[in-house]
Amino acid sequence: MQDLLQNLILGFSVALTLQNLMYCFLGVFLGTLIGVLPGIGPLATIAMLLPLTMFLPPVSAIIMLAGIYYGSDYGGSTTAILVNLPGEGSSVVTLLDGHPMAQQGRAGPALAIAAIGSFFAGCISTVLIALIGPPLALVALSFGSPEYFSLMLMALVCASVVGSGSLLKSLAMVTAGLLIGIVGTDVSSGMSRFTFGVVELSDGVGIAVVAMGVFGLTEIINNLGGAHMIQTILRGKIEGLMPRWEDLKTSFGPILRGTSIGAVYGPLPGLGGTISSFTSYMVEKRLAKDPSRFGKGAIEGVAGPESANNACAQTTFVPMLTLGIPGSASMALMLGAMIMHGITPGPQVMTSRPDLFWGLIASMWIGNGMLLLLNLPLIGIWVKLLQVPYRLLFPIIMTMMGIGIYSLSNSGTDVLLMALFGSVGYILVKLGCSFPPLILAMVLGPLMEENLRRSMFLSDGDPTVFITRPISGGFMLATVVLLVLFIVPAFRKKRKEVIAEEGS
Amino acid sequence: MAPRAIRCAKLLAIAFSVAVATLGSMVDAPAQSKFPNRPVRMINPYTPGGSVDLVGRAVAAGLSEIWGQQVIVDNRPGAGTQIGTEIVVRAEPDGYTMLCNSSAIAIMPSIYRNMRFDSIRDLYPIVEVASSTPLLAVHPGFPVKSVKELIALAKAQPGQITAAASGIGSTNHLTTEMFKSMAQVDLLVVPYKGGGPAIVDLIGGQVKMFFNSAAAFLPLMKTGKVLVLATGGAQRADYAPEIPTVAESGVPGFEASTWFAIYGPRALPTGLAQQWNDSVNRYLNTPQAKDYFRKNHMRPVGGTVASFAEYHKSETARWGKVIVSAGIKPQ
Repeated sequence: MQDLLQNLILGFSVALTLQNLMYCFLGVFLGTLIGVLPGIGPLATIAMLLPLTMFLPPVSAIIMLAGIYYGSDYGGSTTAILVNLPGEGSSVVTLLDGHPMAQQGRAGPALAIAAIGSFFAGCISTVLIALIGPPLALVALSFGSPEYFSLMLMALVCASVVGSGSLLKSLAMVTAGLLIGIVGTDVSSGMSRFTFGVVELSDGVGIAVVAMGVFGLTEIINNLGGAHMIQTILRGKIEGLMPRWEDLKTSFGPILRGTSIGAVYGPLPGLGGTISSFTSYMVEKRLAKDPSRFGKGAIEGVAGPESANNACAQTTFVPMLTLGIPGSASMALMLGAMIMHGITPGPQVMTSRPDLFWGLIASMWIGNGMLLLLNLPLIGIWVKLLQVPYRLLFPIIMTMMGIGIYSLSNSGTDVLLMALFGSVGYILVKLGCSFPPLILAMVLGPLMEENLRRSMFLSDGDPTVFITRPISGGFMLATVVLLVLFIVPAFRKKRKEVIAEEGS
Repeated sequence: MAPRAIRCAKLLAIAFSVAVATLGSMVDAPAQSKFPNRPVRMINPYTPGGSVDLVGRAVAAGLSEIWGQQVIVDNRPGAGTQIGTEIVVRAEPDGYTMLCNSSAIAIMPSIYRNMRFDSIRDLYPIVEVASSTPLLAVHPGFPVKSVKELIALAKAQPGQITAAASGIGSTNHLTTEMFKSMAQVDLLVVPYKGGGPAIVDLIGGQVKMFFNSAAAFLPLMKTGKVLVLATGGAQRADYAPEIPTVAESGVPGFEASTWFAIYGPRALPTGLAQQWNDSVNRYLNTPQAKDYFRKNHMRPVGGTVASFAEYHKSETARWGKVIVSAGIKPQ
């Protein structure tokens, strides 16, 4: 404890220098600014701004990059809430209730609760990293392919209830998502699948491309396609910029639960924010007294997933800082930046460069605070955006979407693909399909396949490995329990309906 | 009538060729003396932050200083570097578009069937910038302490020892395949999506061995998270002379390295190619370049255009053989 205190003091003495405070702010500011552009998530933002940090001293550069990382993460939620544009998988969850809130004139509370939830989650998970970073990394090491597979199977089962509407259509969307996820080069054999000879497809279809198409573009076509073009996004009156007391009270539980979910998923390499957001949303919907409010502007549906996503974003640093292993593509970029600055990432960073390690941790705290300070005053401006006449707004949004998607990998093919998904998405919306299951299946499908096949590789084709390994077996058991919990009430309800019909 | 017409045509032809020659030299001479008079674009077919980006950015900064013009790194990742490379193949050969790629370019022709260009016919190899040799590491709990013991165990348990590979057809996968065939052992190759997840599984003991970069393994070796058995280079590395080579540990002739090089479009004028080559060599001789590559566990290489062209061809043929003997089918 004494050590921790001393380390934190060292950290703050590094992070609180005027210079580093400035770079932290600059990072958060630029990150938010660019992250707000639709389609540009943390990965693209870091990639774009990485060369900028080459000229800074190493510690400042890493602090600034970390600021860019969570700044852009938050910026993505802003566009999801305001204009229904998810730049990444995790924002898909945010817009489910965030955008309806914006349409009802409650964009202010939605944005504020996202910022507050993120801040809280950021603070807690930073403490977690400082306290139990190394043991957390050990948990990650004990996760082999069978554990990943079982965990993801559980997540998929959980999430199958996120989609509303008919079960058949949900299943169709899951299947479509799995198929889209297969596009590209197969990891296990190196074979190209569903690429139709198009070289640009050999790396698969990006989540952002599909998400922006089926949510953003489809929404625009839908808004324009009605008998009368809508005047503004706002359907009601703006009801205050800040959350009311009861908003905060309802959000407290979801924020706490979201934070714990995110903190658990974060250190596991390769899982990322999307799964923690979906899991948190599912948990909140299950726990809610009136689940039918979800999807129509329930503040818990914003508070929980946003906290989960940010907690996950912070704890993703654990494997990188303690082992030198990137847990996600964004972390791989951060790692590259460290190497460019002559810092060899790895377990020794904590002892050989304590200023960097603890400085970064302290700056996460400060950065999260700055994010809050920066974004609460901006809410007023964002909300005004909703009053801009739609005929002026939508061409701007579409241009931004094009720029954002193009800049992901400087590829025109991605823009065309987004247009394609937008058009197909419109037809599917008219048929009453919902897209969250599609996105989740698209994220999880390739991961599950990779881990399933690797498990079978390593176990020499023995499927019992999923049950005999204790952690994996635990997840499998939980999956079965969850399935029973879901099926039994549905069954009971059916029976009641039948009985009611017979009685009448 | 007829002879006169011929004479006329001859005269015209001479006049025309003279005119073309003068015009050509007029256009050519100042262009060469003035190159570069605007920013140069260096295509990097990888995402930022990887080892090719490390090399590319360093060379770009060095060339910017020498040429007094910005050399801008443009990351165009995808399709096993095909997308970025194709941009350079199709670029105007005016010296303002260059390519920084790795040995992936020598592997590419043997694993992709439907490439839209020919990496030997359509590219102008300029210079090898640097090279790095992979290290062979095992999980520390694994009961082998040397390459000899590893080979003995693999012979006793054919097809049982698991070796990670980050992607089918990646350099480290092919290095493993080469090890299998040269040491005459049968290993179970387990494919991963990237080096990171593979290292996690190596530390966790889910896989037993992995060929990967020194930058990734050295820090983990120092803290005992992995055990490094050997380096894949022809000689011991100067950053860790205590690590033996695979070649001296019972697999004579084993040599694997990843190299990083500069290319231009095939039609690039020889003068410009020579100028690029000279400038890169000049940069590689600076103390800061030497320091930079040493720190990143790489060896600066340099050399003439002709020698690199030869090396590019022989490497393409060598990896092609490894791919065929490993039974990897082109896609």
